[in-house]
Amino acid sequence: MKLSVVWISLLVATAFLAVAPATSADEVTASDPDAKCLKCHSKKLKKALEDGETMFLQISGEDFGQSVHQVIGCTGCHRDVPKGKHPSRQPISSRREYSLKHNETCSQCHAARHMDYKDSVHASMVAAGDNAAPVCSDCHSSHSIQQRAVYEPVSGEPCSTCHQDIYDAYAQSVHGLARSNGNVIRESHIQAPICADCHRSHDVTAVSAMDYLRDTCLECHDGAAVAHEKWLPNAGMHMKSVSCAACHSPMADRRVDLQLYDNLKQVPVAQQDGDGTYQSRLEEIDAAGDGLDSVELWKLVRQGSRQGGAVDVTLRGRMEVTTGVDAHRLAPRGEAVRSCENCHQGGANGFENVTVSISMPDGRKQRFEADKKVLNSVVSVDSVGDFYAPGGTRIRLLDGLLVLALVGGLAVPVGHIALGKYLRRKNRNQ
Amino acid sequence: MTTTTMNYSREQRKHGKVYLHPLPVRLWHWLNALGFTLLILTGFQIRYVDLFSLMSFETAVKMHNWVGFAVIANWFLWFVYYLFSERVTNYHPDLDPKAFFQRYFRQAGYYSWGYFQGDDKPHKVQPHDKFNPMQKLTYQFVMFISAPVTFLTGLMMWDVQRFQGLIEMVGGLRVVNTVHVLMFILFVGFIITHIYMGFLGKKPSSHYKEMVTGYEEPHD
Repeated sequence: MKLSVVWISLLVATAFLAVAPATSADEVTASDPDAKCLKCHSKKLKKALEDGETMFLQISGEDFGQSVHQVIGCTGCHRDVPKGKHPSRQPISSRREYSLKHNETCSQCHAARHMDYKDSVHASMVAAGDNAAPVCSDCHSSHSIQQRAVYEPVSGEPCSTCHQDIYDAYAQSVHGLARSNGNVIRESHIQAPICADCHRSHDVTAVSAMDYLRDTCLECHDGAAVAHEKWLPNAGMHMKSVSCAACHSPMADRRVDLQLYDNLKQVPVAQQDGDGTYQSRLEEIDAAGDGLDSVELWKLVRQGSRQGGAVDVTLRGRMEVTTGVDAHRLAPRGEAVRSCENCHQGGANGFENVTVSISMPDGRKQRFEADKKVLNSVVSVDSVGDFYAPGGTRIRLLDGLLVLALVGGLAVPVGHIALGKYLRRKNRNQ
Repeated sequence: MTTTTMNYSREQRKHGKVYLHPLPVRLWHWLNALGFTLLILTGFQIRYVDLFSLMSFETAVKMHNWVGFAVIANWFLWFVYYLFSERVTNYHPDLDPKAFFQRYFRQAGYYSWGYFQGDDKPHKVQPHDKFNPMQKLTYQFVMFISAPVTFLTGLMMWDVQRFQGLIEMVGGLRVVNTVHVLMFILFVGFIITHIYMGFLGKKPSSHYKEMVTGYEEPHD
């Protein structure tokens, strides 16, 4: 014990003497204790990892000195560096494993933000073993952590690192253009949103979660509900059953998503529910794998609702754009879809593509293909009871009955007149 | 009752004809005819935008809603009139179903045979009993079941959020729409038949004139 104290004291003293000239030469780059670390880590150190890759251990003292973490120094995060036993010979399996380990380190100071992150779709992807899902350092970097303001310019960073195609769509959207042109989007000079304004920065939410994104839009467009009510019949229902982007990204392809929903609990049905998962039930019902037809959809809903009466399953329909990229191509208000005929007619673009979805624990949806005819089938009156667009999803059987009524109605006078003529001719002949 | 009977007598003495259709009934009937024609036209337009284009979908929906409310109000005109009129006997159900259906089929036989032979009508039209059994059953169904069900389902679809609870109670928006369309189909069949039957008076124009003047056209 005494030996180690002496050893550390000597080490610190030596280090102080060694780094003293450097700190006086470049006072901005790093604090004195950190300079001790940088003495080695400013060199091209590297460590072989168990997965065969190499981890470079060189740190830019200048970058770190300008980062917000400069004040806490190296040991603020690297508390686990064993005193007197550094460099450690402990193996590191992979860079990813090392990042995941230090993801928890961040929570020691940023507990609230870390809790937010844990609720995010990113964290759930990490938990599911997705190695591409971001941890703290993927967005904030490891040693060049910058102030929040740095992320605010419309540069797309850090989101565009993974979501480049979506960012490109955003950059050309009414929001992206307004932001890059000095926020001239509205007379009130409200700032046009960047990624985090809609998707949040740490508790990044799956946009497919029921009403989340619509509510986000309405946070800024607080007059939208009233504005729609002025011209759009059943505006509230439209805003519930049609995603904002379905009309405000006019060039996008659309689809109808039928989400399994528990009427009793008023929440989307979870993938794991009762005995087995819905995915296995779906695969069992749609054994042919050719997409769910109306009868199979009805079976799915009935089976879900039979579970001891604890679940009352239905399918909640919603028109939405088919890709995340399309969802970000938001156009100026004047270019939004205004014509009712766009949806309210047979063969409309939005009804040609139908999916059935189940909610994943993180709010994302697992989608399954369905036959587009489910929207026009009389069998769907029960299973797709909540979704109906006059004209667009009309039931074909009723079309047949209408033709029958027209033909039958016309057959009465025609038949009666013909009968009269026949009887009169018969009477004359007699 | 006595007063009204006296009214009938006075009117009959004055014109020498039976006063079958009082003004409120005629007013209701022709407003209803106009309303239902518009509702059917706009209903076709709403449902079949891809097949024909009489007007825009938006115009059709707005017109359908406004006319729908007018027809509902008109139904109440009919309902209140008959509620306080002794002529409500026209809509009273027959308490002897066997006898009723015997007369019903006798009437059907008349339309398909006796009418062409010049036979007398099996049902004598009177102000308090102006419907033959076939008419009576049809109008009872149309006025007390079809029309209210159509109005109610139409109201639910007019403002889905306002009637959300009721819509969920009956099984969802698709159920409501299906019932509404089924009623629409029935009305289409009914109106075609109704217009034709209107020509089966003593003269083809007799029933139409009666519905304008209120008085039964004289028999030859």
